[in-house]
Amino acid sequence: MTSPETHHTGTFDTATQGSGLGAFTGTSVKRVEDHRLLVGDGRYVADVVPPGCLHAAFVRSPFPHARLTGIDTSEATRLPGVVSVITGSDIEELTNPFLPFLALPGLYTPLYHSLSSERVRFVGDPVALVVASSRAVAEDAAELVDVTYEVLDGIGTIDRALDPESEPIWPRAKNNLLYDRTTDHGDVEGVFADADHVFTETFRCPRQSNQPMETRGILVEVDSVTGAVSVRAATQAPHMLRWQIAAYARKESGPQSIRSFLTNPERRGAFLAAAKAFVGDKGEALQSSDSTAMQHQLKTEPRTALQMVRTGAQLLGRDDYPHVDADDIGGGFGAKGSVAREEIAVAAAALAIGRSIQWIEDRMENLMDGGQAREEELTLSIACDADGTVRGLDVDLVLDQGAYPGNPVGAPITVRIMEVMQPGAYRFEAFRQRSRIVATNKGKYVAYRGPWANETWARERMINVVARRLGLSQTEIRRKNMYGDEDWPAAMLTGPALDVTCSVRKTLERAEELADLDRLDALRADAVSRGKRLGIGFASYHEAAPGPPDYFEHVNPGTSALLDQPATASVSVDGTIQIWTSQMPHGQSHETTYAQLAADQLGVAIEDIELVYGDTSRAPFDLLGTGGSRGGPVGGGAVRKVGRHLRSVVVAKAADMLEASVDDVTIERGNIHVAGVPARGLTYAEVAARVVADGETVDGRDGTYAFSVDDTYTSAGDGGWSVATHVCWVEVDVETGIVEIPRYLVVEDCGPIINPAIVDGQVRGGVAQGIGAVLYERAAYDEQANPQASTYMDYLIPTATEIPRIEVDHMETLSPGENDHRGVGEGGMIGAPAAITNAIEDAIGVTVNDQHLPPYRILELMGIIRPD
Amino acid sequence: MKAPPFAYARPTTLDGALELLSTHADSKVLAGGQSLLPVMNLRLGAPSLLVDISRIPMLDRIVVDDDGAVTIGALVTHTAVEGSADIARHAPLVAEAAPYIGHRAIRNRGTCVGSIAHADPAAEMPAVCLATDAIMISTSTHGDRVIPASAFFTGFLDTALRDDELLAAVRFPASPPGATGSVVEVSRRHGDYALAGLVCRLVVERGTITDAALAYFGVGPTAERVPEAEALLVGSDGRGPALDRAVEAVEATLDPPSDVHGTTAYRRHLAGVLCRRGVADAIARSTEEVA
Repeated sequence: MTSPETHHTGTFDTATQGSGLGAFTGTSVKRVEDHRLLVGDGRYVADVVPPGCLHAAFVRSPFPHARLTGIDTSEATRLPGVVSVITGSDIEELTNPFLPFLALPGLYTPLYHSLSSERVRFVGDPVALVVASSRAVAEDAAELVDVTYEVLDGIGTIDRALDPESEPIWPRAKNNLLYDRTTDHGDVEGVFADADHVFTETFRCPRQSNQPMETRGILVEVDSVTGAVSVRAATQAPHMLRWQIAAYARKESGPQSIRSFLTNPERRGAFLAAAKAFVGDKGEALQSSDSTAMQHQLKTEPRTALQMVRTGAQLLGRDDYPHVDADDIGGGFGAKGSVAREEIAVAAAALAIGRSIQWIEDRMENLMDGGQAREEELTLSIACDADGTVRGLDVDLVLDQGAYPGNPVGAPITVRIMEVMQPGAYRFEAFRQRSRIVATNKGKYVAYRGPWANETWARERMINVVARRLGLSQTEIRRKNMYGDEDWPAAMLTGPALDVTCSVRKTLERAEELADLDRLDALRADAVSRGKRLGIGFASYHEAAPGPPDYFEHVNPGTSALLDQPATASVSVDGTIQIWTSQMPHGQSHETTYAQLAADQLGVAIEDIELVYGDTSRAPFDLLGTGGSRGGPVGGGAVRKVGRHLRSVVVAKAADMLEASVDDVTIERGNIHVAGVPARGLTYAEVAARVVADGETVDGRDGTYAFSVDDTYTSAGDGGWSVATHVCWVEVDVETGIVEIPRYLVVEDCGPIINPAIVDGQVRGGVAQGIGAVLYERAAYDEQANPQASTYMDYLIPTATEIPRIEVDHMETLSPGENDHRGVGEGGMIGAPAAITNAIEDAIGVTVNDQHLPPYRILELMGIIRPD
Repeated sequence: MKAPPFAYARPTTLDGALELLSTHADSKVLAGGQSLLPVMNLRLGAPSLLVDISRIPMLDRIVVDDDGAVTIGALVTHTAVEGSADIARHAPLVAEAAPYIGHRAIRNRGTCVGSIAHADPAAEMPAVCLATDAIMISTSTHGDRVIPASAFFTGFLDTALRDDELLAAVRFPASPPGATGSVVEVSRRHGDYALAGLVCRLVVERGTITDAALAYFGVGPTAERVPEAEALLVGSDGRGPALDRAVEAVEATLDPPSDVHGTTAYRRHLAGVLCRRGVADAIARSTEEVA
């Protein structure tokens, strides 16, 4: 499976990983998922249409910013096939507003509903929901809903949003600057005054959009007899969706919800016990959270307090939460980690009407409202000495979050991660960051594969700017200033610990070896002879995947506990083995890699492991689901831990049956036996049968099991950095501005690899999206915030013919951690934009301040055409 | 993204189709549907009746006259055009343009004549028609009409076809001796509509250009010729100062639109680059053939 251009350095030995039980971990086992998906046996939300199911379409604002002055649904309601038309004011009666999830000190977070009723804030803002017998009829009716608007000034750029006189999108925030905070680390003034040089550049990244193959979608089924609600959805976080539907999609009056809380002793008892346990575990962490954040929120949006009490009481008082099931998912890249306003509106409609409703987003909706990302402007100043020693870093970041906040993951947490990671693996003496979040009339900002990546992009661009001005090479300046093995233990200026896993400089040195730099001049000359300019770009980074144990406390104090990962392992009464994860696979190959980890713990084959996920009545609870490159390190850690735990209880029973000491019992190919006596072994089925015969079965997650064990893996237990150096070669056609990539190299270190082919795929997929960001993809808006790319004719995604071969070289630095696999889902996307833009700058010899470089922009930068 | 309600008919005779077109004011011909159906699904167009011509006999033929003129029927797909030895031999610019159109799946269903009738300004085939002085053959209950390409493309997505007419075929005249040409375009990704494209057709006699056609696409509301530049090429060898002047004339004449993919200045610059590349390619081929 491993491609010819993949190369491994470093050593890998399963025995060093504390397992020594099997041979699957570390090999390119073929993906378990592939056959099902390739032959069309996958089951996506659109594939499930129960009898009598209704279909939804949204009426959406055609204006970026307007007051909604009237809405007439009468004609739409009369159309045959239409069951209901629900407006924004209906939804205010039916549902609770969304509440802030992560508060930051000084951040304004609005309260808002799933449909807008008084003001629309971007093109695509939903104002009504049509429920009809088919999607086509629903769309026909949506056209008949008569909405009157009073158009307001649309805010389409960061500059316009920063203008204090701009029309406030959230009037309670007074203007469109929602967050502004400056933090100093070290003696910033002193270092900048003392350094030989200070260089400053501004870097701009336009909006991109997460573009999974499958758009968003939800099916809310209502049992016509019992009224029970079950949900299927394309979601990265089923438990989060379940809680939000329970919290928002039905509104109880305050007194009613408190009454039901008080009259439900079982629920109340369970809650109090859980709260006590949580505070017991995490009391210290909770104390470190910043209470000024909530104080600010209550000052600017006092209704928050009332809504939190009311929604909280409703959540705790009810015991009829919907059941959420997510099956196959066609990608998400972070966008499906958000709960969509549409999902809450559809759930509310199904509850109100008492009928099942399906909504499958179309691509135009997806491009307007499915999630956009990465629109940031960063001004970086680096103070350095004449020899190229970088000393001080000053960053002014403005993030454009669009109209509505991400829910729950969006701009605030991204800003925090950007700030913590901004200094990178460089030995700065002082660092200052000013971070601002602005509102504009655009689609909402969500997490997109390496959401904080622009800190890497801007820093790695700026390092190259400094190198050029001082006459140093790209690699020289990096080698000179990066942390290396002589520095450990160390810590970033922003707090997180650095250790041997921060092997960035080693990947740089390895990349230099592989890059054939002595051939560079010949390549440049050859390109010139063909009317082209060749350039090379390096970029290096480390990312927290999961990061050291103290990492998340530096990002957002008091919330580390959210990152814990539960898992269950069980043996059925018939002897089959299940691993239950709270991870929600949507392309990452969990069924394969977790089977590899578990099979090695349990001494069985891959095929013997069934992975259970996605169904909230079965999967362990975890609000975040899959995201943040946590599947390998934290989810995988939980699988390894619970697998070992299950092995110990199975071995104990088997030892009893074999009349042997547990220390003498081993498992090979499913044969549980005394070491050296395989002929007298037991199968899992035989051990399970004895458990049943002895009346020792246990309650598992959804019934009776021979064995069932639970564990929680905390990311603070092990940890470490995932790192890489990317090298990109570009050829720029000086006549057309077309950029080609003749070679692309990634040297990465994510620790010991579970499955090399899957890691290669993750790296290459990420690089492809980085190529998309620089050369093709732009969620463009005009100054007034009218979208300019709402179909695939204008939002260009690179296809196979645009992506070059991507060489991947693996280094596998080991750390003392028990579960040493580090995340690799996001890194490709984090490194690529910097490497590509650095290469383009090298090719054209002009400072590159934009991340998005379509052909016309290249020729503008080269002075060949004049900007419009 | 579902089309608004519409009626659908699939007549099995040409007369039946023409009858429907003449009696339904708001009808549209459906052949490959590669442009029409997306327009309807985006609700940018809402014809009340689609007349599906796919079951009408004889429209899927490619006919070569004795003099070498090639006639392509309304149901001939781009893929069929690409694969036709007759077209490659007698109408090489048509064959050369076909692979640039969309992707394989689009070319398998989309039709050459449909693309011409749709008249997208960034599409290849209208420019091929202009460069080769193709003839449009339309038909209706009132009889057939023959419309030269130069009079056919009247505006953005607009042609000289009347609402009741079906574009039954396009005829590409035989190439004169010494004819050569090239199709050059620049697009963001392979298969995208061109940022700018050029169909260049020259007649070269003993090293001198005796006739020139420069038909651009993607740079205005319709595909368009640039007679000012063509005139500067005629009588020259198509190189050096003559080519420089033609490039200048192209840049001075065209006024391309600006959008997220390219500014006016960029497309104007590209048009000049393509003039240089297209003429050079055409002349190189002419020399190769002589040699």
